[in-house]
Amino acid sequence: MQIFIYGLINSISLSLVALGFTLVYSISRIPNFAHGALYVATGYFAWILMNLFHFNYFISAILSVFLSCFIGAMIYRLVLIKIRGMEISEVIATYAIGLAIIEGLRWGGLRGATYTLPVIVPGSIEIFGVIVDYQRLFAVFVGLVIFLFFYIFIKFTKTGLALKGIAQDERAAMMLGIDSDKMAIVSFILGSAIAGISALIIFPLGNIVVEAGYNVLVFSIAVSIIGGLGSWLGAVIASFIIGYAQILTEVFLSTHYQMVIALLAIIITLLIRPSGLFGKQKELEERV
Amino acid sequence: MLEVTNLMVFYENMLAINNVTLTAKKGSIVGVFGSNSAGKSTLMYSISGIILDIKKKEAMKGGERITVFGKVIFDSKDITNLLPHERAKMGIVLCPERRRIFPESSVLENLKIGAYLDKRNEKKNLEYVLNIFPRLKDHLNRQGGFLSGGEQQMLAIGRALMASPSVLLLDEPLLGLSPYYQKIVVDSIKDIKATKNITVIVAEQYARPIIPVIDYGYIIENGSSVLEGTSESLLNNPDVKSAYFGV
Ligand SMILES: Nc1ncnc2c1ncn2[C@@H]1O[C@H](COP(=O)(O)OP(=O)(O)O)[C@@H](O)[C@H]1O
Ligand SMILES: [Mg+2]
Repeated sequence: MQIFIYGLINSISLSLVALGFTLVYSISRIPNFAHGALYVATGYFAWILMNLFHFNYFISAILSVFLSCFIGAMIYRLVLIKIRGMEISEVIATYAIGLAIIEGLRWGGLRGATYTLPVIVPGSIEIFGVIVDYQRLFAVFVGLVIFLFFYIFIKFTKTGLALKGIAQDERAAMMLGIDSDKMAIVSFILGSAIAGISALIIFPLGNIVVEAGYNVLVFSIAVSIIGGLGSWLGAVIASFIIGYAQILTEVFLSTHYQMVIALLAIIITLLIRPSGLFGKQKELEERV
Repeated sequence: MLEVTNLMVFYENMLAINNVTLTAKKGSIVGVFGSNSAGKSTLMYSISGIILDIKKKEAMKGGERITVFGKVIFDSKDITNLLPHERAKMGIVLCPERRRIFPESSVLENLKIGAYLDKRNEKKNLEYVLNIFPRLKDHLNRQGGFLSGGEQQMLAIGRALMASPSVLLLDEPLLGLSPYYQKIVVDSIKDIKATKNITVIVAEQYARPIIPVIDYGYIIENGSSVLEGTSESLLNNPDVKSAYFGV
């Protein structure tokens, strides 16, 4: 039961983090290797705003997410716009920016276990005999709200529909007047917002550490590859696979193996089914 | 009025469009005819600006070098260097070869995405599209990828109309269609001109069904415009007859 409940919670938070990565990829076809860096950076910004500038929690949270969106937009606007389409350069550039942010934070003092964000809803509850803290439930709740928000946004707004068009056929969307660069910026803003919001609800469960940036990145990539690059449904299902695998590893082996399992899962997927669970478009292209 | 003057397009060293000049008067239907690989799509891409996107992507990939010379002028503005979405905003909308329907979106969603540039008239345009293509009404919630070729072509034209174009470019709209659907598409072209006063430029390999509805036509061979004239003059030209009608 414990495995079931913690696996569920873990899977939902994981799919939230990976959603940001998948969203950016499905629209701009750029794998944003700075995704994890934005995650850590938002947590650290929020900490700085609260502890050094003494803003209250909500203002700090909102400002730090805005900052994350701004950095995400600038990464595209200043750098990626010039190299989009050169796949290797995209990876190198986003990875370098991510490294610079993460290592910059480390150099700037983000070391050790002194940095924590406050728990928004303290306390815990017993569900089917398993003790779960409210913060974890809150993470699940926020995750579901964000999924709902995106569903509505994509289905019913002009910009959302344009994003969906670009994701399916960029050139056909251009012919209808949709600006691909503008939509790529929108996707970076949304992806960074998701990275930031997940940081704010997941960091309170532990400490803000720079290593989390690498973890988030590796798990986001694992989820995207297993689910099929750019497939949203695939990403959610893959989050559940990885999410439960993480909890099972934690229970039966040790936390240290979680990363190994994620990387193994990437390798196995690439060997058996390179286009992932739901990468049907890509698979079709491969066949043609 | 839309004008293409002395257009040349090279794919690396291959000359795909050779010094083509073309004029489409406001509210007229212009045909561009030519066999496979004559250069019709390249011409359409040059008018809609997609060629610039192809060029940029090829350059990024380190692929072939694409060069464009000549001018595209729309309502006396030089639009040669405008990007496809900018030209669409001015009213030039391409309905591409092989339709390129958004396969995972429903028919209705395809049309809604098409309405990106003109949300104000979305309802009115939708009504018009469903009026000229009543068959789409029965499939509004079907996924675009699951439609038949004919239905996809109607959807592709409808989607382009949702953008309220002033110039509609149709690249091989009859490709692979049964005579039944060919007639629907040709009739829709007539209606688009008559009720909406939209300029239509239609590129086709099979001239026979289209020639009767055009005001003016061009015949391209190997990238060069070899003959041009009104519908009647092309119909009565013996060379055209043998080459394009198989008479
Ligand atoms: N991206 C491209 N790269 C190289 N050659 C191309 C490309 N697109 C078209 N061509 C060539 O240009 C010529 C014209 O092609 P196209 O405009 O597609 O003709 P059509 O639409 O009339 O069939 C053909 O010889 C074709 O092989
Ligand atoms: Mg063609």
